[in-house]
Amino acid sequence: MLSATGKNKLLSGLLFLLLLGLGALMLYPFLWMVSVSLERSSNIAVPFPPRLIPEQFSLFNYKLVFENGVLFKTYANSANIALFSVILSVSSALLAGYAFSRGEFRGKKLLYFAVLATMMIPFEARLIPMFTMFNDLGMINTKYPLIFPAIINALGIVLVKQYFDRLPEGLRESAKIDGANEFTIFVRIFAPLTGPITATLAILAFQDSWNSFLWPLVVINDQDMKTVPLFLSSFSSENGNRLVGVTMATAAMSILPIVLVFLFLQKYIIRSIALSGLKGE
Amino acid sequence: MSDHMTKATTLGVLDRKLLRNRNKIIRRQPTLAWYLFLLPTLIGIAVFMIYPLAESLRLSFTKGADEHYVGLENYASVLESGTFWYSVYNTLYITVFQLLIAIPVGFIIACLINNLRRGANFFKVLFYLPNVTSIVAAATVFLAVLHPDGPLNYVLQLLGFEKIVWLSQPLSAKWGAIILSVWHWLGFVIIINLANLQAISSDYYEAASIDGASRFRQWQYITLPNMLGSLTVLFIIGWIGGLQRFSDAYMLGGLQGSPARSLHTVVGFIFERGFGGNEYGLASAASYILFFFILVFTYINTKVTKMKI
Repeated sequence: MLSATGKNKLLSGLLFLLLLGLGALMLYPFLWMVSVSLERSSNIAVPFPPRLIPEQFSLFNYKLVFENGVLFKTYANSANIALFSVILSVSSALLAGYAFSRGEFRGKKLLYFAVLATMMIPFEARLIPMFTMFNDLGMINTKYPLIFPAIINALGIVLVKQYFDRLPEGLRESAKIDGANEFTIFVRIFAPLTGPITATLAILAFQDSWNSFLWPLVVINDQDMKTVPLFLSSFSSENGNRLVGVTMATAAMSILPIVLVFLFLQKYIIRSIALSGLKGE
Repeated sequence: MSDHMTKATTLGVLDRKLLRNRNKIIRRQPTLAWYLFLLPTLIGIAVFMIYPLAESLRLSFTKGADEHYVGLENYASVLESGTFWYSVYNTLYITVFQLLIAIPVGFIIACLINNLRRGANFFKVLFYLPNVTSIVAAATVFLAVLHPDGPLNYVLQLLGFEKIVWLSQPLSAKWGAIILSVWHWLGFVIIINLANLQAISSDYYEAASIDGASRFRQWQYITLPNMLGSLTVLFIIGWIGGLQRFSDAYMLGGLQGSPARSLHTVVGFIFERGFGGNEYGLASAASYILFFFILVFTYINTKVTKMKI
């Protein structure tokens, strides 16, 4: 007979193994993707039976992807767009969040309501006028339509407001007495304290930008301006069945940056997801 | 300084007169400065929210390149279109099963992770990983997973089932999309559930333990009732997201949602009519119909979460 603690230990060991099995199942498509991409014969047929260790290991598919160079062009486009989107959405959220947290002005409640209301408006309801607007401005096939709309960041504003609400009011008072104006106070005192929340917002904005698909599909059709998901989508629909190995190598390369960011900053990401979910957004 | 002249504050001990002056300075807030802080966001809302919404509404009453007024004709055409209703059916079908599978499974996995003494963070990362990747990359991988010679069929054959050519039949194609969306969304469900599970006060469990309630009874009578609200919210969030589904179905089924439009979604309909056929009026009407449904569920969601706005 096992003792009570022994039984508990056994149970939690089994639980751990069960979760490990389920986790492996979740991870399997990724592992298989990498395996297929490392198998030279995968461009003739899908390797069968499916295996996680390639039968003939080869970097051939990656070599093709690197030599082709289009993926790197799209990487540069996506990185460029992501950089400006992150700067725009984080800075506008910090500014607005500060005003809603510390400011007293006419229409504050109404404006905050307007910000929250933007969370309820689906992108699809604005899709066609957004396209015609950027089309009229001659900005189709440029990075601008993919950057400018990032300036609205309602969830970011809510998170920043709540973050600032917890900071002591005394911070502001002393600066005020020294004659500092609101902007100086924000830049010198509040903005430097926003490290964790800024990191969270930056990651969320980066993820949104890097993974975005529908809107880039609408405003980009020039091969040279394509973003990573657009390139992957067209490559996969044109070559998916013939060149499974190259397609999997391309897919693996496309998720590499976001997976690395996630693994390094998972603490922030998971917290932000929990927060945004609890908000009911 | 005598006692009645001073007051302790966060800044230390201050003279009363100084304090009055200080309060006066603090109270005098320049309103204009606050509007400047809000300027980027307000410009964004005006240009990328209010204008497009108004313009979309206007377009939904017009037709043709000259945008002549046709009243409710576009709405009538959309609502009479079999293609539209089939896209609604597809969208709802995929979403209903996605939620019915992902929410209970994610909830159970979250409960299991929550019971771990160590390693909870490791499992959070493991299960959440699919969700950080783009749906385009995920779908690209699943196109191969669902391949007739792919891993899914291999497992089915091992279990003694017939091989399924997933993306060739309407029903199996939809189930392919469901499997993809469950896999991609499960991590999100787990993270939200874990956050809510940790918010349940441990007092309840301690009291129940003292009363001799088993682990399962505790789950049944404490965890489950406390989580019903969160599960409902997850259902509504998933439902709102599901109504907007496009990328996964587009990746598996292309512009027309092949096979036989079985993967054509509502947003796919808007996209195809708007940008494939340049029917801005009709597509705008369809967007407003979708907007209306999303608004209804968002309203229900705010009621459920009792979000104060």
